[in-house]
This record gives sequence, structure tokens and C-alpha cells, in this order.
Amino acid sequence: MTVVRRFLYSKKIAPYVFILPFVLTFAVFFIYPLASTIRMSFQDILPGQVQWVGLSNYRRLLGDKVFGQAVFNSVRYMLITCALLIPFPMLFAYMISSKSMKSAGFFKSLYFVPVLTSVVVAGLVFRMMFSELPGALMNSIRGLFGKPAIYWMKNEYSSLLALILLCCWRWTGMNMLYFMAGMKSIPNELYEAAEIDGANTVRKFTHVTWPLLKPTTIYVLTISIYAGLAMFTESYMVFGNNTSPHNYGLTIVGYLYRYGFEKLRMGYASAVGLALLVGAMVINVAQLYITGAVGPRRTKV
Amino acid sequence: MTRTVTQGRQTKSGLQYSAAARVALILFFSALGAIIMIPLVAMVLGTFKGGAELWRNGLNLNPEFSKWSLKSWRYLFTGVTIEGELLPHSYFTWFKNSLVIVLLQTTLTLFISSFVAYGFEMYEFKGKNVLFMCVLLVLMIPFEILMLPMYVQANSMRLLDNVWGIMLPFLASVSAIFFFRQYLSGLPKDLLDAGRVDGCNEYAVFFRIMLPIMGPAMSSMSVLVGMGAWNSLLWPMLVITSMNKYTLPIGLNTLFTPYGNNYDLMITGSCFAVLPILLLYVFAQRFIIDGMTAGSVKG
Amino acid sequence: MKKLLAMLMALSMLLGIVGVASAEAAPTKLTLWTFIDQHAQFYNKMAEEWNKVNPDKQIALEATVLGYDDMHNKLKIALQSGVGAPDLCDVELGQFPNVLLGQPQLVVLNDALAPYIDTVVPSRLSIYSKGDNHYGVPTHVGASVAFYNVELLEAAGIDYKTIITWDDWSEAGKKLKEATPGVYMGNVETTTQWQTSLMLTEQGADFQDNSNPDDPKPTINTPELLKAVQTQQQWLKDGIAYICPGGQVDTEEGKAWLNTNVCATVIMPEWYMSRFVDEIPDLAGKYAIAPAPVFEVGQPRSIGLGGTGTVVTLTCPDIPLAGDFITWAKLSETGESMIWDVMGFDPVNTAVWDDEALTHNPENKFNKYFLTNVFDTLNEIKGEIKFVASTSISPTMNSYFSSTLWNNLYIDLLDAESELETAQEAIEADIF
Repeated sequence: MTVVRRFLYSKKIAPYVFILPFVLTFAVFFIYPLASTIRMSFQDILPGQVQWVGLSNYRRLLGDKVFGQAVFNSVRYMLITCALLIPFPMLFAYMISSKSMKSAGFFKSLYFVPVLTSVVVAGLVFRMMFSELPGALMNSIRGLFGKPAIYWMKNEYSSLLALILLCCWRWTGMNMLYFMAGMKSIPNELYEAAEIDGANTVRKFTHVTWPLLKPTTIYVLTISIYAGLAMFTESYMVFGNNTSPHNYGLTIVGYLYRYGFEKLRMGYASAVGLALLVGAMVINVAQLYITGAVGPRRTKV
Repeated sequence: MTRTVTQGRQTKSGLQYSAAARVALILFFSALGAIIMIPLVAMVLGTFKGGAELWRNGLNLNPEFSKWSLKSWRYLFTGVTIEGELLPHSYFTWFKNSLVIVLLQTTLTLFISSFVAYGFEMYEFKGKNVLFMCVLLVLMIPFEILMLPMYVQANSMRLLDNVWGIMLPFLASVSAIFFFRQYLSGLPKDLLDAGRVDGCNEYAVFFRIMLPIMGPAMSSMSVLVGMGAWNSLLWPMLVITSMNKYTLPIGLNTLFTPYGNNYDLMITGSCFAVLPILLLYVFAQRFIIDGMTAGSVKG
Repeated sequence: MKKLLAMLMALSMLLGIVGVASAEAAPTKLTLWTFIDQHAQFYNKMAEEWNKVNPDKQIALEATVLGYDDMHNKLKIALQSGVGAPDLCDVELGQFPNVLLGQPQLVVLNDALAPYIDTVVPSRLSIYSKGDNHYGVPTHVGASVAFYNVELLEAAGIDYKTIITWDDWSEAGKKLKEATPGVYMGNVETTTQWQTSLMLTEQGADFQDNSNPDDPKPTINTPELLKAVQTQQQWLKDGIAYICPGGQVDTEEGKAWLNTNVCATVIMPEWYMSRFVDEIPDLAGKYAIAPAPVFEVGQPRSIGLGGTGTVVTLTCPDIPLAGDFITWAKLSETGESMIWDVMGFDPVNTAVWDDEALTHNPENKFNKYFLTNVFDTLNEIKGEIKFVASTSISPTMNSYFSSTLWNNLYIDLLDAESELETAQEAIEADIF
């Protein structure tokens, strides 16, 4: 017993004990499933019959127009949400941290409420707001301007608007919080120095806040890219299911879900999944390199 | 990391003290707040109008007080439907299941992830960088890709239809590990040596010295983990098969079926489901920003 | 004769209870998934009945209700991975081809179905079959009929009984539009194809050619389908039909729209009666039921649509018992009476259709709601109920229809001929 104790308590072994839970989870719930996914992507799998088909799933993928559309939709959604959910929350965070801002705490809490609302609930609410019924919120807004009701979810851009608004609604508060936290770690002296140099509010933002927020921005950008590319539940809830008009709401994960769970073509779905995996990793790594987050400071992460 | 310190740092970014700016800011944020509240207000109004009305006229901001009734809410709490018949529902069973899972999962995730993070941050050991790259790898991979093999795996471990099956794959949460490691890297390490000098072994240093001072990071992470557990749908839906073990999102999702005609319960239930996580947030919010400041965002 | 037999059987079962009551075995636990609340209630009730008459084969049924997509996806994963499936499961028709992929992990129910095979509408079994193997127990025929809003039509001086062809129907629609603007003769579906399927089978066509069951081919660019969709486009151009809110009438938006009493005709499968009764209460006493219109007199006037087939999975611990129970619950006269009485569906066991005491019961809530008796219409069209094939390519076709084709045709009113050509190519490319 004491031998075991001494072994476990030794400074050499202790770190491995600490990281053991992760290593176990990683092996059981990640490496094994990932390996199966890679294997399945070379197979045609139907209940009760499995067949090796070499690269044919990947060949099909390359010529698959609907997959191309799913990629296009996901990438477009990701770009738009990144373009909206980084600058605006940052600006709002800057404004709300201002000395002139009263009741900032109240507003911060207010903006955080959507973050706490689940996708299931939020998606349902948005679906009913963007419903084609003339009395539904978005159509009644059109009604105020004397315009007729439209099919919000059957038009490419208006349905995209619904998805983007849902995303902005849910995440503005969260991203503001990230930026506020980032701003707090900027030493006050820098602002004071800038003030002495005669900088106004805007210059202080561009010369102090913006550059020093870079780590935060990179973090938020990384998770936004990831979340944008992996979006699925939002579309599923807002459109009511995974079949949207002209596939306007189809995303890469939605396509994976369609083949893996709806059409039961696990082999093909695995190929789709691995394509997403490679895509997400390439974009993330490229982004990290371009923004300089990895490279010289790599060990620090 | 005390309250006064943060208070002292509160006022720093730039806008000038001018009455005009003050009013403009308040107006701006009130307007933004109003826009953000629209869907929630519409939902709350909807609970008073009843489920059938939602599909007839859509969800909107028109209060229509003449249509108000508390019957949807009555149904939620008593099981007596709008029409007055007693039709028991399982909402509060689901609610209880979700609460249990959130409490367990949050506690265990915080504990296990901080434990792992401590190992990564405080020690140098063989394979550390490779293993930490694995953490980042998991962070980058959508879980949906691995869902089917994970399901098979969960089955072979006899975890199907079992609350542990919902939780186990996510207890060593990579985002929490990442976050805690960032937080720990900002803490002075001499504390540990002081602890060792006092005769603590490696684990006691973690339990007696580190754990207590990780409070702020724990609170902000508790909201994020708790939120994830409370709202999680896809995986629990695969794992759980018995109705009496459903979590709230699964249960609410079954009410969406066009065959159920249970929209009164759906709308009030959805509204009520926001409550616990809101309470958790109100309780923990004062720590959240502090925790985040020291945590994930240092790059 | 059949009744006498049933009574004798019941009697002998009753005697059986007395005989073996002491030897009561522990009940066999059977799990069942469904996506319809009423179905779960029905199965529970039938399990009770079963236990009354089968004391030696007691079952403890555990029915779980899940959302439509959740349940089917869970089932498919369970069948795929070989674990976690329930013993019995309701599978919706549109999803059925998916559970038949590969080697179906389902029990061939031919033996269990044998006692009922003569009285059951055959097409209802074949839609749940692969080759000669029957895998699903049907719930209803789902024969399409026309529901006419007599009040609206009479106000415009129209007698629904004179409507025989689609031309009659369109003329009546124009008259109605003139007399009462804002009221529509019917609706056009954009997320499903109840009406289009009917119009297709009236002309003896189908969406696909499955003469070779192993290699079904889509047949979208046919003159018959062209006629069906152009007819509906014309309704929209003439303003006599409305694009149904929610995409079709069997959605919450659709039912809410009907409830506003602006639609004079609903052409839907018989089971839509239950939606009227349960969810469109304001229109009670306004609708009469009649055969649907046709293009030319003499064409078949109905098609069996929708439905759920209940399957038994290979992982079920007591396959013969599960098979006997589910066929008995859904196809025996006891079960079939309940299916009409409680759920308002048209039983697949057509012997029940002639049981006047049951079908014309004035106390029945479905009979009370409508001005005419549905079984009068059903018996009139009994020999004319067609069906469209349901094969491995059906899910791909249906999803293209609801996501793209109907939107293009009816909302954007694009040229039908070229749209059907495009659809044909797109679907051929998408078939695995």
C-alpha cells in the first residue's frame, strides 16, 4: 500500500495522475470514435451489411452539388456572423465600460439573458416570429409600412436574416462580456498616458483598446469561426426540421445529419464529417497563424 | 482579486464626462435592450394568450389583453388543461431530471477539469505539449461528427438510458480545461512551494491551496457549463430512451410534434425553463467578468 | 358470420381465463416507441384488452412518446448499431424505406399477419414490405376524400354533389370567388403532395417506376404529373386556391387557417377527420364528405395516403408474442373498432366498414362533427383506392419535392415543364 502511495505521490507521477481524466476521456470518447469515423468513410454501411468502397464516398462528395451548397451556406453564415459579432460587441463593450455610462450592470445582465435561453426555445420563438402568418411579428412590422405579408422562411435572404438575427440575438451579450473582460486587463495607465498625449475617445479606442484587445479578439474569432461552421441546431429549430426550401438552411453539419441519421448512409456521412473537420482545422490554424496567435508564442498558447 | 480592486479598475475606457454623452449612451443601450427583449416579451405574452393562438396569428408584440388567461400556466402547474380536463404531464419530472444532471455535471466538470488543468499548468512532464495539442484538437472538432461511434461506445459501456451516459464524455471538458489553465497561468506559483514546504503532498497542494483560490474562474465556468448541460439536446436525446428519464430539452422537443397538440405546455414550459439558468446567472454574475478577465482571454 | 365467429372466439377466450387463471405467468415486458400521443394511449388500452383475453401470455407494455424526427432518427441509429432499439415501433410511411435499407433489422411479420390477410387492404401491407416480406402492421387506409364546407358553398349557390371533375371544381371556385371574395375553393400544398399524389393516381401514374423493385426510377417529367401541377398552378393564377399556411393543412398553421372558415374544400386522407374534430372545433357541422373530383369521369377517385406501420425489431425478446399482439391490436375487429371509435381512422380491415352499428353510431364524435357519414363515401370508393409506391428512392424524392419543386411551382409559379425536367435530373443525381 505504501509503495502505491509513494508511487502516486511522487512528483514524477503526479502530473500524469492529474491529467489522467482527460487522457481517458480522450481515448474512449474521442480517439476511438474518430478512428471509427475514418474507417467508416471508406465503407458503405447499411444495417446488416458493410462493404469497403475505397475512395468512392470522397469521389461522390467532390461532385455533390448539394454538399457544395451546404458548404457555401455554412461559410457564408460564418463570415457574416463573424463580421457582425466581433466589431459590434466590441464597440458596445467599449461604450458600456465608459465612465459616463450609468446602470451598466443592469444592461449587462439584460443583454446576457438571450445567452441563457436555449436554442430549442429561442429557435421556436424565432420561428413563430418569422412565420408566414400575417399576424406574426415580422409580417406585422411590414404591415406597419403598408407592405403585404411575405414568406420569410421561403426566401433565401429573408431566411438568412432570421438565422443571423437569431445568432446575433443570442451571442451579442456573450461576446460583449468577453470584450469587457479583455478591457479590464488593460492597465489604466495606458489610457492616462494616451490622455496626456491629447488622445480623444476615438483615438484611445484605436490606439489602446483595439491593439491590446487582440488576444481576446483572436479567442472570440476562433470560437465564432468554429461555431459558425458547425451551426446546425439553429437552422433545425428555425426551419422546423432539416428540410428547408431550396436547402437555404442546409449547413455542413445538417448535411452530415441528413446522411448519417436521416438517410442512414453512415459511410458517406463520415466522409462529410471528416471534410468538415479538415476544413475547420485548416481555417482555424490559418487564422491563428495570420493573427500571430501561434508561432513565436506557441508554447504559451 | 478582490472586489475593491476590480472596482478601482472599473472606470478606465474613454468617453468624456458630458451630459450629452451620458444621455446618448443611456438612450442607445436602452434601445438595444428593448430590441433584445422583443423575442422574450413576445414569448411571455404568448404564454398568456395560449398555444392555439400562436399558430392562428403568429407570435407578436400585440398584448391583446382580451385574450389573456392564466390557463396555460395553470396547466403547467396543475395538469388541468385549458378545456378543464385533468391531463397529467411529465414536465416537472423532466425539470427535476435536468436539475439533477446540471448540478452533477457542473460540479464534476468543474472539479475534474480544474484538476486536469492544474496538471497541465503546474508541471513539466514528458508528452505534455503533445497532450495539450490534443486538448486543442478536441476543441476544434464538432461533436456531431463522432456521435454515432460514441453511441456505440456508450452502449458497450452500458451507459445507454443512464444519466452517466449523458455526462461522462463531457466531464473532462476541453474548453473548461483550456479556460482553467489560462486562469492558473495568471496565479503566482510560489504559493505552491510554500504549500510543499508546509508538508502538503502534490494533491493536497491542489485541494487545499489552489482549489479555494479558483473561485472566480469556477463561477464563470459554472455558468457556461451549467448552461450547456441545461440546454444540451442532441446527445441526451440519443442516450436516454425512457420517458421518465428525459431531460427538459428532450421533453420540450417532444411537445413540438404536430401530433401532440400540446402547445400550451410547450410555450409555458419553454418560458419556465429559462428560469433556473437565469437564477444561476444572477447568483454567479458578479464573479463572471472577474473570472473571465483572468481566464480564457489572455491568449 | 364473422361476427358469430368473433363471439365464439371471445367466449372461448373467456372460458380460457377461467381455465388457466391459476397458471398466470409473469408478464413479458415489451417496449414500444411512437411519435403520436393517441397511439400510445391506444396501445396501452389494447395491451389491457390483450391481457384480459390472454392470461397465459401476459404483456407489460411500456410505450414511449418521442418527437417525430427524434424517434425516427433514434430508431435508425439503433437499428444501424444493433443496440438500443425498442421491441415495437411505429414508423411513419415516409420514413419506412429508411428502416428497410440493407438487411432490415426487423421481423418479417408474414406469419403474424396470416390470420388477417384476407380482410386487409393489400396495398397497405405492400407499402411496408420488401419483396414478399411484410415488415409493418398498418393503422389505417388513409383513403383520400373531399371535405366540402357546405355553408360556404351554399352561400355562393353551389351544390357540392354536382362537383364530379376538376373542371366542375374550378368553375365552382370561380363562382365562389365572385360571390364571396376572400374565400377560397381550396388550397395548394408546398411541403407535401397529398393532392398531387391523388391527381397522379387518378391518371394511373406514379412518381416512380418500380417495375424493377431493386432499381426504382423516378418518373417526374411525365405528362400526368405535368397535368396535375399545371392544374394547381391555374387555380393559383385564377385566385381560387390559396397557398396553405404552414405548407399543408396538417400543420398547426394550416389548421389555424382552416379554422378561420375561408376554405371551401379540403381534399385529404380520411384520417384528417380527427384533426377537424380535435383541432378545428369551430367548424363543426359545416363539412360534408364526398369522393374527390377526377379529371375524367371513370377515373379512380381515391388514394391511400400517410400512415404508420408498426414494426417488431430483431432484438425483441419474444418475437412471436410481439407479432401476435401488434397484429391483434391493430387488425382484429376489436382493435379496428377502437381505431375508428377512438382515433377516427378508416380501418384497414375493411370488414369493419360494413358494421353499421359501429360506423353509423350517432354518438361517435367523428360522426357528430360531419354532415354526412364518412363510411358512405368510403364504401362508395372502396374499389378505387390506389396508392403510390414507397421505395428506397422515396425519401430523396420527397425531400426534393418539399424543399424545392413545390416552392418553385406554386410560390414562384415557374414554368412547370422545365421545372419537372430539372427535378428529374436533380433527383437522379441525388439518389445513392
